[in-house]
Amino acid sequence: MLMPKNQNLIIERWDYRLTFAKEGRARYISHLDLMRTMQRAIKRAGIPIWYTQGFNPHAYLMFPLALSLGTDSRIEILDIALTEDLPFDEVVEKLNSSMPEGLYFVSAARPVMKHTDIAFAEYIIEADFDIPVEEAYEKFKQFIHQDVIEVEKRTKPKKGRKAGVKLIDIKPHIDLINISADKEKLIVELRLPAGGEFNLNTSVVIDAFCSFAAADIVTQYTKRTKILTASGENFL
Amino acid sequence: MKEIQQKVERLLLKTQKPARYIGGELGSVIKDRDKVDVRFAFCFPDVYDVGMSHLGMKILYGLKNQRENWWCERVFMPEKDFEQQMRENDIPLYALESLDPIKDFDFIGFTLQYELSYTNVLEMLDLAGLPVYSRDRKDLTPIIVGGGPCVCNPEPVADFFDLFIIGEGEEVNIELMELYERMKPSAPTKEEFLREAAKIEGIYVPSFYDVAYNDDGTVNSIVPNREGVPAKVRKRVIADFDSVYYPDSFVVPFTSIVHDRAVVEVLRGCIRGCRFCQAGFIYRPFREKKIETIEKQTKCLCEQTGYEQVSLSSLSTSDYTQIEKLLDTLADYTDSERINLSLPSLRIDKFSEELLEKIASVRKSGLTFAPEAGTQKLRDVINKNITEEEIMHTCKMAFEAGYGTVKLYFMLGLPEETDEDVLGIAELAHKVVDLYFATPREQRASTIQVSLSTATFVPKPFTPFEFEPQARPEEVNRRQKLISDAIRSKKIRFSYHEQKVSNLEAVLARGDRRICDVIYSAWKSGCTLDSWDEHFRPDLWEDAFNKCGIDRDFYVYRRRSYDEIMPWSHLDYLVSREFLISENKKAHEAKTTRNCCEGCSACGITTKYGGTYCKVRE
Repeated sequence: MLMPKNQNLIIERWDYRLTFAKEGRARYISHLDLMRTMQRAIKRAGIPIWYTQGFNPHAYLMFPLALSLGTDSRIEILDIALTEDLPFDEVVEKLNSSMPEGLYFVSAARPVMKHTDIAFAEYIIEADFDIPVEEAYEKFKQFIHQDVIEVEKRTKPKKGRKAGVKLIDIKPHIDLINISADKEKLIVELRLPAGGEFNLNTSVVIDAFCSFAAADIVTQYTKRTKILTASGENFL
Repeated sequence: MKEIQQKVERLLLKTQKPARYIGGELGSVIKDRDKVDVRFAFCFPDVYDVGMSHLGMKILYGLKNQRENWWCERVFMPEKDFEQQMRENDIPLYALESLDPIKDFDFIGFTLQYELSYTNVLEMLDLAGLPVYSRDRKDLTPIIVGGGPCVCNPEPVADFFDLFIIGEGEEVNIELMELYERMKPSAPTKEEFLREAAKIEGIYVPSFYDVAYNDDGTVNSIVPNREGVPAKVRKRVIADFDSVYYPDSFVVPFTSIVHDRAVVEVLRGCIRGCRFCQAGFIYRPFREKKIETIEKQTKCLCEQTGYEQVSLSSLSTSDYTQIEKLLDTLADYTDSERINLSLPSLRIDKFSEELLEKIASVRKSGLTFAPEAGTQKLRDVINKNITEEEIMHTCKMAFEAGYGTVKLYFMLGLPEETDEDVLGIAELAHKVVDLYFATPREQRASTIQVSLSTATFVPKPFTPFEFEPQARPEEVNRRQKLISDAIRSKKIRFSYHEQKVSNLEAVLARGDRRICDVIYSAWKSGCTLDSWDEHFRPDLWEDAFNKCGIDRDFYVYRRRSYDEIMPWSHLDYLVSREFLISENKKAHEAKTTRNCCEGCSACGITTKYGGTYCKVRE
């Protein structure tokens, strides 16, 4: 007779919201791989992880917001649950005792907000194009002050409709915080929609700029700096 | 390093699975390059996902890095997309730990696990910026080393390597690197170093041997062309297997790989002596670790890696003398830590109910069996000592325990194979399906899927079938069709292997030094990653054979006589030629040979190698 292994077994759980960094070589870990990496990190740390109840119990791990491949961040969020109420600094210390290069925990706290409260994220993008930096700077200003910025978006196949491409206007969603340039690079700070409702990646904006300016990226460094709620508060 | 890193990072976002090319995994060993004296690039000539699953690399990587002043790093074959990017951007092949170009290393070692990876070796040497032929590399370093099961006949790649390591590597690798470390300050020539190296047991320097051929194309002689070089190179064996080095940590990849789990090697060698199986002969004798050793290594690895699955690895884990006690001991730990214990390579006859339950208690997956042949007669020919009754008994237990998928593996083109044997494969599959329907509905799984899969038999060196011809592709195709026509049940799915691949494998497995130029020519015309269906180019290989004037039929379809000098005759894998000949004769009479556990059959291996069941003294 098939029964969930731990049915009727209520195990007390303590929720933790961990903030972690993903930098350097670790930037190239994909979201799916990050999940696996974190599961193993928790296993190695020897902290009492809470397992889901069901036919296939697995360690509870939740990333409320994915980070694009190649983007740096020190403010990423991972929610876990433990079966014991361990002090926050102990959890962080144990987890950090065996982490791969570029991946480490910054802090732990109780979750305050819901995942669905995430509405925006802020980024700083430093990019070097195959056009002179002054030209890139001027063109970016023109680009961002257009009335409409249309990009192609692939649509999923639905009943009676094939997968296709449609044009959407991303202009209303881009909030330019600052733009500057040094000798080599254009430096752009943006606030973009993030979370389950609507998510806009920096690469969509940069690609749109590239086709606008007929330029190509030579090097690019992107960092996520803030995760925010609809009212602009830091996500806690 | 910085320069390579910058160039690589620029390309990563345009690349499939970029985590494969940047390193930085947990458990990877980083050292200060200014404080190391010997650098070893351990190359697996296939992509990261495959190479990272290889146990031998994990062992030798850990072993070499134990020495503070040695640094062993990992190198894999890039996928075609990244390889092209590397060439376009002048990125030489680099090691994943330091991101330094490997052409500056002291050693570059390749593990040769399957013949179809040979062109990848050339590709990797070329990507590193090195000439692929050994004779064109005049400097002492990098020294190009080959090891692994395929070097039991290294002749088809002999021209590309400076030396081969024959047999088990744990001791001889250290001896080789120590020799190098000792000689390095006196700046020896390549010749001077290789002559010293050739004195180490288990080291074969191909350029120190001359091969002469008969008019009919067979080998006439293989003789040393230098003083002090052994006429026969004997393989190395770890006699004290229980205390041999085993890594206490693995490199834990970010991206998913083929075998993504902790692995503990519980035994080496195999007691069975299936006559087609090269591993069953070249890894002899059978030795095992103590339960305490396995338990300690399992805990240690799981704790260090964080893996939730551990596999007890060997050629046939159920042949472990105290398998039930071992599983009971480990279950205490794995159950409490929610670690999934997996046992690959179980033999059908040993599959007891209890064993089945122990595996099933974690997760019900499918069962895989390899009866290899469809009738008892043919199973006796190949010495696969299992009966139909045993297969049915195991399947019955499995169905009663709720298993719903069964995979059955067979070979086609075996010596003495008749149509009756071929049809026996389909018949066996039908019997398995019938057995499922005979199982009470309450016990059995809701549905049944029997996957039938056939591979073409490839005769391999150092097996009793090394004398045998391979079946012709037309004939194998006809036999495949016989099977598919005989399948009446929708519950049976039948799949088979590409003939052209098996044919090439047959050439490369038993080829001589004349094949080197064919491999070079095939690689030059664009063949790499030959083991991947999407990259395999039989047409280009065909051209390469023609261009070099090599008749592949000579290597594939010819029956070798018992007194023929094989291209690998100067290598000694301890199993005697007489034993192989007697096994070959018995095969043609469909007579079986008892396994090592039932009694020693005097295969040539003496008691001094630590074999559990060996009886013959030297």
